Amino acid sequence: MLKINNLHNKVETQDGEEKAILKGLSLEVPAGEVHAIMGPNGSGKSTLSYVLTGRDGYEVTDGEMAFLGEELGELAPEERAALGLYLSFQYPVEIPGVPTITFLKEALNAQRATRGEEEVSAPEFMKLIREKAKQLNVSMDMLKRPVNVGFSGGEKKRMEILQALVLEPKFLILDETDSGLDIDALKIVSDGVNALRSPERGMLVITHYQRLLDHITPDVVHVMADGRIVKSGGPELAHELEAEGYDKFIGEAA
Amino acid sequence: MTAILTHTQAEKALIGALDGATGWRAHLREATQRDGLPTRRNEFWKWSDLRRAANDVSGVGRLDVTGLDGLTNVKDGDRIELAVAASAGASAADAALVVPAGASVTLVETLKGAAGSLGNWHMTIRLEAGARLDRVVITDHDADAVFVGSAEIELAETATLNQTMVDTGARLSRNETHVTHPGQGASITMGGAYVLAAGRHADTTNLVHHTGPGGVTQQLVKGAVASGGHGVFQGKFIVDRAAQQTDARMTHRALMLGERAEIDAKPELEIYADDVQCAHGNALGTLDETALFYMRQRGLPKARARALLIESYLAEPLDRVQDEALRERLKASLRARLGALI
Repeated sequence: MLKINNLHNKVETQDGEEKAILKGLSLEVPAGEVHAIMGPNGSGKSTLSYVLTGRDGYEVTDGEMAFLGEELGELAPEERAALGLYLSFQYPVEIPGVPTITFLKEALNAQRATRGEEEVSAPEFMKLIREKAKQLNVSMDMLKRPVNVGFSGGEKKRMEILQALVLEPKFLILDETDSGLDIDALKIVSDGVNALRSPERGMLVITHYQRLLDHITPDVVHVMADGRIVKSGGPELAHELEAEGYDKFIGEAA
Repeated sequence: MTAILTHTQAEKALIGALDGATGWRAHLREATQRDGLPTRRNEFWKWSDLRRAANDVSGVGRLDVTGLDGLTNVKDGDRIELAVAASAGASAADAALVVPAGASVTLVETLKGAAGSLGNWHMTIRLEAGARLDRVVITDHDADAVFVGSAEIELAETATLNQTMVDTGARLSRNETHVTHPGQGASITMGGAYVLAAGRHADTTNLVHHTGPGGVTQQLVKGAVASGGHGVFQGKFIVDRAAQQTDARMTHRALMLGERAEIDAKPELEIYADDVQCAHGNALGTLDETALFYMRQRGLPKARARALLIESYLAEPLDRVQDEALRERLKASLRARLGALI
């Protein structure tokens, strides 16, 4: 479903210098599977999520990344979103003045328009969002508030998953979704993510800690260090990392 | 040494248009005769060189105003709509409104300057005790219009002024408001939004003079300027010694939508009382790139994401318009202009 081959990229640092972050990353996530990427800070995990979704300043310098057979490199972020790529942000962005419900309806219909599908009518949309909001314990009052404005860290993450439930993407990238969550919120968010697991959908779960993976059990765990995947294995690899730390893998990357 | 002023063709045309004028128009004629049109050497006009902007204007034009009937026999609940239209050439007109004690009135002025116009429009407004005026000014000028709208507003005790302006600019558009604020239960909310495409200039200039104790003034002006557009904000609060316990807040914030956007701002406080709460804030910024990416990641096309961000940024001062239909009309006029500059 998602095929990444020998991916390289550079970003511009604050002093205007170019810095290589991804240095030949290869990865394949078939439909129906959940893969986790674990790695120390600075290994390039978040950069990978931005490169895949097309953020300005995160252009590919070498290698390929294809989603459902389509090369992503030349596509705008909104085109990738319409193809079905969804990024749950590590730090969801506040958009003052735009009610969440308005934003979500615009987003859903924009994606549908790009795919040549019909718009969802207002009553249909209300029915849809009521149902999904209930699933995540989100009140209608929260949905009327501007996107992420005044929400706690946990509420923001819950809203990210709610948006995914409404937009029904084909592939989810969860970037440090567990950060800022207490135990109860972690459970609600994980239940939401697990509800999205399906044979047609793939997921990439980026995390620093193994904690999230107790709730969202991955099929494959990859260890990332210095811009590459240095080891892949089953769920037990996450426990190994938690027990022994990243040090021995970082050695392997050098 | 006295410099000898040679009048430009626009100045000659304006003086000609005001031949035999009385009142405010006679003052305008004398000032133009004596000093010419203001240039940037005049501190009060330093970012809006009217003489230069009006360079191509010639001949006497007409300033047509419809709806003037509404200004007589004003009573509570009235809604007065004035449509002010300047044809090519120099022209000037003025009108007066008195809002009677205790009455609540809405005044909407639509200003429309044609290409090659130099229009001057002035309102003299008095709010009697306990009166309320919701004043809305909307501009809809040709890109080659020059238009100066101004108002002299005086409040009595316990009167309320709520003024909102939407300016989409012109070759030069200036909206100037001078208010005398007596405090003593009177309060002022004034603000607005400007959206400027390339080649358009809008100048919001306000002076609020607090003369008595306990006055409240809230001002919020927001703008969005594309490359090649020029926004000007000049705000001044004067607080007399007698105006103790004045609470006056002035805020101007604007977005630069391109590298060649130009915005000049001069917020000023002149305070002679010692027990007041006065503040001014001025902030210029660019569109939040992270928010843009977030919106695009959810599927919104870039242009739509930008429009939504700008619209929501500008909405705040317009949300202070209480009449919902009027508020939506203002937002729609901004939205229409936004579409063209994204």
